[in-house]
Amino acid sequence: MAKQAGSSTTPEGLVVRVRDLHVYFFTDLGVSRALNGVSLDIPAGKVTGVVGESGCGKSVTALSIMRLVPHPGRITKGEILLYREREKQNGHSIVEEVNLTDLDPQGPVIRSIRGAELAMIFQEPMTSLNPSYTIGDQIMEAILLHQQCTRKEAEERAVDILARAGMPNPQTVVRRYPHELSGGMRQRAMIAMALSCTPSVLFADEPTTALDVTTEAQILDLMRELQAAMGMAIVFITHNLGVVAQMCDTVAVMYLGRVVEQAPVEPLFYDPQHPYTRALLRSIPHVGSRTKARLQPIRGVVPDPYATIEGCPFHPRCDYRKPGLCDVRVPATTQVGENHTVRCFLYTEQGEDNG
Amino acid sequence: MARYILRRSGYMLVTMIFVAVIGFLIIELPPGSYLEFEIARLRQLGGDMAPEQIRALEVRYGVHDPIYLKFWKWFSGFVRGDFGRSFEHRLPVSELLWQRLGFTVLISVLTMIFSWVVSIIVGVYSATHRYTIPDYAITVLQFIGLSVPNFLLALVLMVFAQQVLGMEVGGLFSGAYRNAPWSLAKFIDLLKHLWIPILVIGASGTAWLSRVMRGNLLDVLNMQYVQTARAKGLSERTVIWKHAVRNALHPLVMVLGMSLPGIISGETVVAIVLNMPTTGPLYFRALLQQDMYLAVTFLMFLAVLLLIGNLFADILLAWLDPRIRFE
Ligand SMILES: Nc1ncnc2c1ncn2[C@@H]1O[C@H](COP(=O)(O)OP(=O)(O)OP(=O)(O)O)[C@@H](O)[C@H]1O
Ligand SMILES: [Mg+2]
Repeated sequence: MAKQAGSSTTPEGLVVRVRDLHVYFFTDLGVSRALNGVSLDIPAGKVTGVVGESGCGKSVTALSIMRLVPHPGRITKGEILLYREREKQNGHSIVEEVNLTDLDPQGPVIRSIRGAELAMIFQEPMTSLNPSYTIGDQIMEAILLHQQCTRKEAEERAVDILARAGMPNPQTVVRRYPHELSGGMRQRAMIAMALSCTPSVLFADEPTTALDVTTEAQILDLMRELQAAMGMAIVFITHNLGVVAQMCDTVAVMYLGRVVEQAPVEPLFYDPQHPYTRALLRSIPHVGSRTKARLQPIRGVVPDPYATIEGCPFHPRCDYRKPGLCDVRVPATTQVGENHTVRCFLYTEQGEDNG
Repeated sequence: MARYILRRSGYMLVTMIFVAVIGFLIIELPPGSYLEFEIARLRQLGGDMAPEQIRALEVRYGVHDPIYLKFWKWFSGFVRGDFGRSFEHRLPVSELLWQRLGFTVLISVLTMIFSWVVSIIVGVYSATHRYTIPDYAITVLQFIGLSVPNFLLALVLMVFAQQVLGMEVGGLFSGAYRNAPWSLAKFIDLLKHLWIPILVIGASGTAWLSRVMRGNLLDVLNMQYVQTARAKGLSERTVIWKHAVRNALHPLVMVLGMSLPGIISGETVVAIVLNMPTTGPLYFRALLQQDMYLAVTFLMFLAVLLLIGNLFADILLAWLDPRIRFE
């Protein structure tokens, strides 16, 4: 299950590599194809943005990597690889490759990874903390689970990490219950909890959507700051392209259960390749744009995930579609620049099946 | 917290006085008094009393006192533990009551513990194994438990215990121990008899509570904080028992307060069928026979139990849920 990759750095500087991931929900209404072959690279120590319309599978992607896909969802195909550094006795660290898709989702191996290497914060700070336990108890629970220390040391660490998360009066906040804190403070507590065991990847699923603009800006600053200080990778899921521009190093654009384009921030914003990415960018206002161009909504609607679409899932809404190709085959992922990949027949002749 | 309990106790006292007034009116409502009842009984036996004698007795018992004085006499007596006399049994009510109250409390408390333990375990199991065969089986059992009347269940279990287990059924003791002084053997004999009434009295409550527990837990399992707990790397068992169950207990605690009197009245039918020396059958007969002092004493005790149960439930709820604050 765990192989040694041998080198002292992770392959190509990645912490997580997702390949052709399929996740289906087997509901009473039929099969909902939430993920249809997601391929995503998460570079170590960088902020990766994940954007896309509602229902395209952003949350499910994050949950799959954590192996927390809720019932009746199942990973039906593909693999998720985690590269983790292990100290060896002689001081050298080696990189171990763990195939997360092979693990029992409730088993001890994935549980030792969750919280310790992969951490997650959610959209709703009001409901993501347990109302019955104090903030301190909830943070200490993670510390005591993954690190060997006494309760007293754990409490000290909890106070410490709360202070780093910019929580005022951390000594008293550890004894407070979630309902005694404001939304912004709860999200700080969540961040502190997620970072308490210094994970290598933090999944942030729309962490500021429920907050007001000022608090949102503070939380974003905080995450950037902590990311720089602690060096973990952040996977930042959002609808807000402005936030992506401000926060992220690279961006993955998702459409209907697939990553259609992944690129560093600058090329993505200034030189988008996929028709969907271009449409997405045209649909948001630009600060300082000189043109009086109207915002253009994307034509059509997102098809429902129960339906199966032949070919490229975007072709019914695409201005560049090539009949006989786009509505028949799914394009393969193509390299179009440094760390810039796209899935569209404008850039390749290769379909998924033969590429 | 202490202040809250004190204040609640104050309210309870006021409520009790209201209950007492109503209880007293019930005693006074039917024509006649205990004295007339006694005189009629004496006459029936062939004796007679001189009018002076009767008048002297009337003065002694305060038959013509104004109503508030009568109330005060009865109420102050009640507080001191003098509950009046039972016409039917020709004994002080307190004597009748204390004899049987012990068993009633024992059975009620054991039933409550039984039904709580079973409903939490069953509720958690069926919520975490939703749509599996055991869950369907439990659901069927729950509906049977809810719909089969207590007395029928009692009869079925009695037959089962006698025919299959060869037990001597009915009552709380075997014949040999019924009037024997307390000993270890008598205690063991009691335990052997207790399971039938506990099972019967607890059946419908357990069926209902476990259903409530299942529904609640399913709601709580959808909450974000359960996902947070899993994301920390906690084992599924810790996630369920520490993070989910605790937040699913509220409705159970809320019904706790109301279930105390329910258990006592539910017990009545079963106690009659099983011939148990508890307070239920006594209360029932008192109501039928218009044995007013006895009936009202029961009413008062039920009211006290309800109030104490509610207070207890509220305190438990506050302990469970830090969002509930007492000011
Ligand atoms: N519990 C579930 N049962 C059935 N289908 C589900 C479930 N959770 C997700 N899905 C399906 O997976 C698809 C992707 O959902 P996901 O939550 O990942 O979208 P998202 O990109 O995060 O959207 P949003 O921006 O609204 O959060 C949805 O279209 C939905 O049909
Ligand atoms: Mg989402």
